[in-house]
Amino acid sequence: MADPNKVDPIHQFALTDIISFGEGGISFTNSALFMVLTVGVISLFLLLSTSSRSIVPSRAQALSEMLYEFVANMVRDSAGKEGMKFFPFVFSLFMFVLVANLFGMIPFFFTVTSHIIVTFALAILVFLTVIIYGIWRNGFKFLKLFVPAGVPVYVLPIVVPIEIVSFLSRPISLSVRLFANILAGHITLKVFAGFIVTLGSLGFLGWLGALLPLTMTVAITALEFLVAALQAYVFAVLTSMYINDAIHPSH
Amino acid sequence: MPKTRETKRPEHDDKPGSVTRDLAARIARAQGERKVRAEQARVSAAKDMTGMSRGLRLGSEFIAAILVGAGIGYLLDLWLGTSPWIMLVMLLAGFAAGVLNVTRAANDMNKAAPPPPGSDLGPGNDEDDDR
Repeated sequence: MADPNKVDPIHQFALTDIISFGEGGISFTNSALFMVLTVGVISLFLLLSTSSRSIVPSRAQALSEMLYEFVANMVRDSAGKEGMKFFPFVFSLFMFVLVANLFGMIPFFFTVTSHIIVTFALAILVFLTVIIYGIWRNGFKFLKLFVPAGVPVYVLPIVVPIEIVSFLSRPISLSVRLFANILAGHITLKVFAGFIVTLGSLGFLGWLGALLPLTMTVAITALEFLVAALQAYVFAVLTSMYINDAIHPSH
Repeated sequence: MPKTRETKRPEHDDKPGSVTRDLAARIARAQGERKVRAEQARVSAAKDMTGMSRGLRLGSEFIAAILVGAGIGYLLDLWLGTSPWIMLVMLLAGFAAGVLNVTRAANDMNKAAPPPPGSDLGPGNDEDDDR
């Protein structure tokens, strides 16, 4: 690109300090600010919309009830009735990822989930929950997760390490999927939007040509809204499937 | 609260038990519907999954397993000083685990969005013996 300051698709992910605390390098960054905003918006919305508790719900109350029903059905489907113990956990994760993704769609807002450390922290939280609850509930039987039923004994030395690696890869794939989807989407969006500016500097013909990336940008924006909701859904579905493994540790 | 309900639904106030019986029937019906609706929602969500997100799901499952396998092997090698043998073995185990992950994920996807009945699935289709 001719002018790197003008079209820089990576710049949107830069962390900047807002408040620094001392010399330790600890600071309140824009990422932290948007995490706080995300949690704040979720709490405010849910508290306000459900405060009236009317039998005939208002629009806001209907929306939060729909969100509740959606996640509750999902948890009940994949983890059974017992999995509903973890409903608050899955619901919090779903809402956080969803609102953080949707925040990222607002211009000039920072996308929290485009940093792998954030998604990895969420994924490792799920992973540790599964391990700790699985061992607490099933004890030694939790290890059955690594021994598929119906496999002859002499194959087990090969199968068990593979199952363990497969199990350990879950937090990585969970976090990489969310992060990669959001990062790739935002970069694509920025690159196509950048083409409009670059082509536009070429004069009239350039503006005509810029119509193509403009259409693409509009289309990709719509796609990104879909991806934002879908990835939150996928994250929550996989979380409840992993929790199902913790409750019933056999394939 | 039966008072308000009776004022709303005056056709039920002749028999005392009919309101609750009606309510029980409606709850049972709603619970039955919930199951059906959840199933429909799950199927349609799986169908709505875009090709890119399917691909990224499978890709991330595969690559994550390889990375984790190689990483474990590398750390064990550092610890035991046997570089590079454990890493090579664990890399292969990671490949196998990646394939396992992908088959499981693809299996889930197929189950969530089954092919329409009557479609030709090719010879040797053994969908009954997947676990």
